[in-house]
Amino acid sequence: MITLRALTKRFGETTAVDELTVDIAPGRVTGFLGPNGAGKSTTMRLILGLDRPTAGQALIGGRPYRELRRPLHEIGALLDARALHPARSGRAHLSAMAASNGIPERRVDEVLATVGLDGRAAAKPARALSLGMGQRLGIAGALLGDPAVLMFDEPVNGLDPDGVRWIRQLSRSLAAEGRTVLISSHLMSEMQQTADWLVVLGQGRLIADAPTAQVIAGSGLAVRVRSPRPAGLAALADRLTAAGAVVESGGTDELTVTGSTVERVGELAYDIGVPLHELTSHEASLERAFMALTADHVEYPAGAGGAA
Amino acid sequence: MTTIRAEWTKLRTVRSTWWTVLAAVVLMAATAGQLAIYVANGNTNDDPSDDAGVVPLGSVLIDSLELVQYAVLALGLLVITSEFTTGTIRTTLQCTPSRGRVLLAKAAVTAAVTFGLGLLLGGVGALVASPVLGEWGAAPVAGTLRDVVALAAYLALIGVLALGLGAVLRSAVLTLTVLLAVLMIVPLSLREPDITALHRIADAFPGEAGKHLLTGDGQPYPPAVGLLLLAGWAAVALLAGRAALRRRDA
Repeated sequence: MITLRALTKRFGETTAVDELTVDIAPGRVTGFLGPNGAGKSTTMRLILGLDRPTAGQALIGGRPYRELRRPLHEIGALLDARALHPARSGRAHLSAMAASNGIPERRVDEVLATVGLDGRAAAKPARALSLGMGQRLGIAGALLGDPAVLMFDEPVNGLDPDGVRWIRQLSRSLAAEGRTVLISSHLMSEMQQTADWLVVLGQGRLIADAPTAQVIAGSGLAVRVRSPRPAGLAALADRLTAAGAVVESGGTDELTVTGSTVERVGELAYDIGVPLHELTSHEASLERAFMALTADHVEYPAGAGGAA
Repeated sequence: MTTIRAEWTKLRTVRSTWWTVLAAVVLMAATAGQLAIYVANGNTNDDPSDDAGVVPLGSVLIDSLELVQYAVLALGLLVITSEFTTGTIRTTLQCTPSRGRVLLAKAAVTAAVTFGLGLLLGGVGALVASPVLGEWGAAPVAGTLRDVVALAAYLALIGVLALGLGAVLRSAVLTLTVLLAVLMIVPLSLREPDITALHRIADAFPGEAGKHLLTGDGQPYPPAVGLLLLAGWAAVALLAGRAALRRRDA
């Protein structure tokens, strides 16, 4: 269980995390979403006591991180997979971590096996590890103390599709064991498949804290329409817009409609005599829900700042 | 104890540690050899003003430190600055959230390693210098042992000083620059004008305290005071380092 109470972090003029109050519950995978600069990583650093909060509290199992004597047994975290001494081997990195928390050396072998790093890879200096192997090493470190809370910052970064699938399965099985699992990501599609619950952040503020399905449903269903007649499709789009629906064009032969229903679109098409090749209902993607939620909270909207 | 084991694991598993040790040993052998040659030559050449007479082996070892100490300083400061440059400080603080514990463990490991290295350097220096000095060297067992132990204690304390300062400044280059100023440049400058008050201030600097500890000259204070002064500097640097680690975001 991670408890955040009015957690606030300001860097000079900028407020990175703004009065964030939320509980991350055990037994499920919680996706921590938000555009870049939303404050996800800062929140994680505050939870780990690496940054000092300007105000408010971050508690793990009811206690602030800095009060934990052997924290690896309580919470395991992967923050930055690149934060390794380039000359030290992955195994030595884990050995030092284990030693610091009184964890026996054989546990290092266990977690290396769990994340699929063989002895040869673990013996290499960290500079020779790929980003994907670095991520696996970071996750091995998080698992060392067999903690009840796990926190991964952008864990699928740099992983191949196999690795992505592996992270998904690992997160799910860790949550199924009753652990608290918090995963930040900007990959909405990934979260849609992994997270049971979503905590969405925008400009440091809590935007949503709800089951994944509910966040997606909140954005409404989408209807996809395909027709071989571009002119007819354009006319249909006009009628739909006039009726209050939101229409997006997917090329000359396709429309995506939100704020309407399959029945309504079908009837309108019949009224104006447009032949349809497809009329399907789609659950709105998390991507779309996310865009709708964070539209007002993007720090650097596309096209606004140019190359900056 | 667990934190000390972790710090020892970290120190011994990077090759730069062993390169630094090797560099210190090579420097010591070269410097002690050269100083011994100077003494022998000075006594045997035609110029009587060069005559140093019979020189204690310990003083050759101590004079060699002028240069060798920088390898040891590098060892001490890299223990912490490398954590900042690589970002491993975040892993370290994740494993051990108590900043004081982390720094104390690092200090214990640094002091133990640099003290041991000091003893080794004393041995290496003696091995190289004694045969060169020949009849011009005096090596009373008790005196030489005292010198070697003092030398090791000096290196351990400046190693810890470098560590504490590194925790405050975070950058290796900046730390080395400040160390150079505090150990050498500032006290030398203070001694430049003939003003007693400035000399007294210079005497309080860690490098000078070290000199009085090593040479045992008793002027203006006995070696034990030099040892205490130097230890005080190292303790202050550690406290400052702890305050910096606690206050600043990692």
